Amino acid sequence: MQEIKRKYVVPGDKVIEGNFRPLMNVIKAGNSIIATRIGIAETGRDGVKVIPLSGVYIPRVNDIVIGKIIDHSSLSWEVDVNSCFSAHLPAQDVFGRDFSPARDDMGRQLAIGDLIAARIIAFDRTRDPMLTIQDKDLGKIPRGELLKISATRVPRLIGKRGSMIQTIEQATQTRILIGQNGIVVVMGRNLDGIKLSIRAIKMVEEEAHTANLTQRVKALLNVPDSPQAESSSVTQTQNNQKGEEIQSTIEEVEEEKIEGGNA
Amino acid sequence: MSSSKRSTIIVEHLRKQQMWDAISKGKRLDGRNLNETRSIEIEQDIIKKANGSAKVKLGNSEVVAGVKVETGEPFEGLENKGALILSAEVLPTASPYSEPGPPDEETIELARVVDRGIRESYMIDLDKLVLVPGKIVYTIFVDCSVINTDGNLFDATSYAVVSALVSSKLPVFEIQDGKVVDTGNKQDPPITTIPISITAVRIGDVVILDPTAEEEACMDARITITTNSNGHYTALQKGSTGAFTVEQIKKAADIARIKGEEIRNKLKELPKTG
Amino acid sequence: MNQTKNLIDENGRRTDGRNPDELRQIKITVGVVKNADGSAFIEFGRNKIIAAVYGPREVHPKHMALPDRCILRCRYHMSPFSTDTRKNPAPSRREVEISKVMRESLEPALILEDYPRAAIDLFVEVLQADGGSRCAGITAASIALADAGINMRDIVSACAAGKIDNKIVLDINDTEDKEGGADMPVAYMPHLEQVTLLQLDGILTPEQFNECLDKAIGGCNMVYEIQRQALMQKYFGNETELKEEQ
Repeated sequence: MQEIKRKYVVPGDKVIEGNFRPLMNVIKAGNSIIATRIGIAETGRDGVKVIPLSGVYIPRVNDIVIGKIIDHSSLSWEVDVNSCFSAHLPAQDVFGRDFSPARDDMGRQLAIGDLIAARIIAFDRTRDPMLTIQDKDLGKIPRGELLKISATRVPRLIGKRGSMIQTIEQATQTRILIGQNGIVVVMGRNLDGIKLSIRAIKMVEEEAHTANLTQRVKALLNVPDSPQAESSSVTQTQNNQKGEEIQSTIEEVEEEKIEGGNA
Repeated sequence: MSSSKRSTIIVEHLRKQQMWDAISKGKRLDGRNLNETRSIEIEQDIIKKANGSAKVKLGNSEVVAGVKVETGEPFEGLENKGALILSAEVLPTASPYSEPGPPDEETIELARVVDRGIRESYMIDLDKLVLVPGKIVYTIFVDCSVINTDGNLFDATSYAVVSALVSSKLPVFEIQDGKVVDTGNKQDPPITTIPISITAVRIGDVVILDPTAEEEACMDARITITTNSNGHYTALQKGSTGAFTVEQIKKAADIARIKGEEIRNKLKELPKTG
Repeated sequence: MNQTKNLIDENGRRTDGRNPDELRQIKITVGVVKNADGSAFIEFGRNKIIAAVYGPREVHPKHMALPDRCILRCRYHMSPFSTDTRKNPAPSRREVEISKVMRESLEPALILEDYPRAAIDLFVEVLQADGGSRCAGITAASIALADAGINMRDIVSACAAGKIDNKIVLDINDTEDKEGGADMPVAYMPHLEQVTLLQLDGILTPEQFNECLDKAIGGCNMVYEIQRQALMQKYFGNETELKEEQ
């Protein structure tokens, strides 16, 4: 197992001294790497980063987000994605290349107040994020319980390869849509299942930085604490995207130690 | 000039639908009944430099009120009464939509409605606060700072003002050699009644008490009703662009009287209430 | 300026009982304004101040946005009941100036290039003032900015030193400010060891000036420990060391 040193940091704290590569939320100052956010600093072979515990969502290309339609011009909808920038969904994305404002009624497709799951297809330092809803599982979200969590806790809520979110979904018979921007929608038929699911999600949000979280969530859900078999679920697409990119969370260290015996 | 403002909070259809469904079954999204108010936390005497102060948390709406007493000229036409001046500011900390700057029409309405509740009920016996009739009177400034808003600022602010006034200690001024002098003694404020305001909003055909910010964003109309310790009505304000039926108003007024008494009793139990 | 009363007694104690090198009591609570992205409440002696941050967020009006970095807007404001005599709610010239120097004391610590075309709005509200409110405000603002998850090079800590009874003392209160001989507020980045705010009211000899500055910086370092503790407490509870799995 690779040697990863971790510690709690606040801005200005020195993470480590030496010739390390600054990866994320750190800066090089002289011979030291300094943390720029509150979070968990990790020093590994490939470099130093800080996993942040607070902060507004900053859009990234290919992120799946859940947004709210707040306005539309003649050519696109304006979408609130809980970030510092409003996103835009071009009318052409929904109506096709030959969209005509005179003929096609935008308000009919998506009205102000509608919730959509979308993917960010373009964003850079010079313009607002642009969205698409043309992929599988994207589009208008007609029903469900809406929650807002800190965007920094989303990776922990998804878990390694989706393990955490699937645990919750299966134990509560719900389907959970998670936007990287911290907006979560819980869908299901069973009211109690939905409530339990929401409690589990809130627990993960509050305790994302602590150890043994998986155990406590499983205890809340009345699920035995054994290695999770990967099963396919409708939310796999979006979960995999982000889940696989998370190389090191405390969760992973736990699971590796458990799974080590089953290999 | 007053004009319709585009609503700054756009509530998701999902949530609106759930709100209507819940309300039609007698419940709200936060689990409350239609006539249930949120928890009220009151802390008095938190600003030692003021003559009186209170911080109120009504759910997540948080307001601080401070009382400062000076002397000055009486108002025109009210030469034999002390002066009471109430103002409010929704601080830019209160929500993503609050901007710094001079008070807008909503903030001014807030201050004036709260003021009316205090003044028209004669909560403070201003006749007792005169030094030189027609020339020098006590001037009571009550200033409110809204720190965080989650709806129903009318009631949150009103409770803060009432809590601050009942727990305040006024200076005792005297005229010595033709000059106003602070004797250094303190006196209790001349309180005659405890006005309590209750705000209700109409969503669809249902009227609910103590709205959250989300419920206010979905409301058709709003009404604030203030009663005094005798259960008499002393101030009313209907707000927002919708309408009430006469039936709804009468029913709301009734509930406001009963709920008002409950909250009045809660205020009386506070340690620093004179 | 001639003083009419003794601010330090025969035992070396000040009007509030402190030693010349003693800071007033400081208490910081993080995350007090629910709607804000970051916030902190500070009690610094009898000062009671709230700092709240919204940001990064969209800039309104749009033409104020900068293409390559974020703008920082800061408002320092005192509630009418915060001072001995009631203060008019409209912004005074003093508040406008303090808003400016406060912004300039915090900007060096923020990595604004990380948020182009956005704005960070910082609001510092004084509920009760008792000397040194701008330092207390900067101290709270720094925490609020960290709480909001804004990339920072360092925390900013602030403290004032001054001259009373011809002696240099740390952290002067309202009475000492009004009756004393000099007041020097300082804001400082403790790791980078750089001064971001420096003002002076009063008269100091060159030796007194050096002593005053050194003393204020020492105060800033003490304030920093309290700031760091408050952040660690809010985010990591009583665990200061990250526990690895067994």
